[in-house]
Amino acid sequence: MHDNIIDRSKDVTILELLDRVLNKGVILTGDIVISVADVDLIYLGVKLMLSSVETMEKLKSGRYITSEKA
Amino acid sequence: MINELIYVYCISDRQPELGKHPDFEGLRCILTRGIFTVVKMVPNSEFSEENLKKNLSDLGWLDTNAREHIRTISLLMEDYNVIPFNFGTIYNSQDSLEKFIRDYYDSLIEKFELIGGKEEWGIKIYYNRNVLIEQIDELSTEAADLENQIMASSPGKAFLLRRKKSELIENELNRLTKTYGQEYYNEIKQLSDATTLNNLLPKELTGREDTMILNAAFLIQRVKANDFNASIISLKKKCVNVGFDIEVTGPWPPFSFISIKEKL
Repeated sequence: MHDNIIDRSKDVTILELLDRVLNKGVILTGDIVISVADVDLIYLGVKLMLSSVETMEKLKSGRYITSEKA
Repeated sequence: MINELIYVYCISDRQPELGKHPDFEGLRCILTRGIFTVVKMVPNSEFSEENLKKNLSDLGWLDTNAREHIRTISLLMEDYNVIPFNFGTIYNSQDSLEKFIRDYYDSLIEKFELIGGKEEWGIKIYYNRNVLIEQIDELSTEAADLENQIMASSPGKAFLLRRKKSELIENELNRLTKTYGQEYYNEIKQLSDATTLNNLLPKELTGREDTMILNAAFLIQRVKANDFNASIISLKKKCVNVGFDIEVTGPWPPFSFISIKEKL
């Protein structure tokens, strides 16, 4: 069904992705300290950006999606 | 460019063959007490504390790098049991990274036992108010009874009864979404080894007309993933008629089932 990882990635919204990679998994500060408060701010910022119509359009048209190697 | 910082993707309980895949170029493994940490070296110019904070507020940068993070871990997950780290875990030295592995060794091993051979799937359930309202007389006997009364009443009485019915509809919608939502959730839960609930997302973020009533993650045995997906498809067909939609994403690395937070 979703055997291809690229197809799979495109189906996934950045928010769902960020919800996992920023808020879940093994959460460590490491040596570079990005505090929980900072992460909350990032997340909030992303939510705000994503709720703007303009950003949504950009995301839909793929202008932000630059990581996928064809 | 000198890459002086250690960026962590995930850990595995077996040694990943990183030479196997072109996308693993630049990755390396650090072995600590039988645990393999998959890392890459990254430059200060992007990942120093100051620069990382700056970059994290750049949506384009964040999107590219968060996707790369999950993509790498997902590729590794195809062949190995992996415990994913959150994005942006950076160490200055191998010593401090290895210290973490040693300090948390027991809980890490425990997590490997939990997630071994399994993957995470995301399930969102939405309900469409209009579709549900259209069928309210079929789904709710109370609404149907009231409708019969309305049909049999004089215009004046019918008017009052209609007001009563619109109140009833709100209550019934609430009851029906709870009942159906719970029923679908239970059905999906039976197919899984574990489940966690995530926050509901508002319409501005989903970009959908219908309303999210459930956002959950399920831990599924990899060998059962096809059955799981087939079951979701048939459940989706069953529930679309009553105004519900099920959205499935995955397989994800088991992010939602690893809750190890550093003791500060």
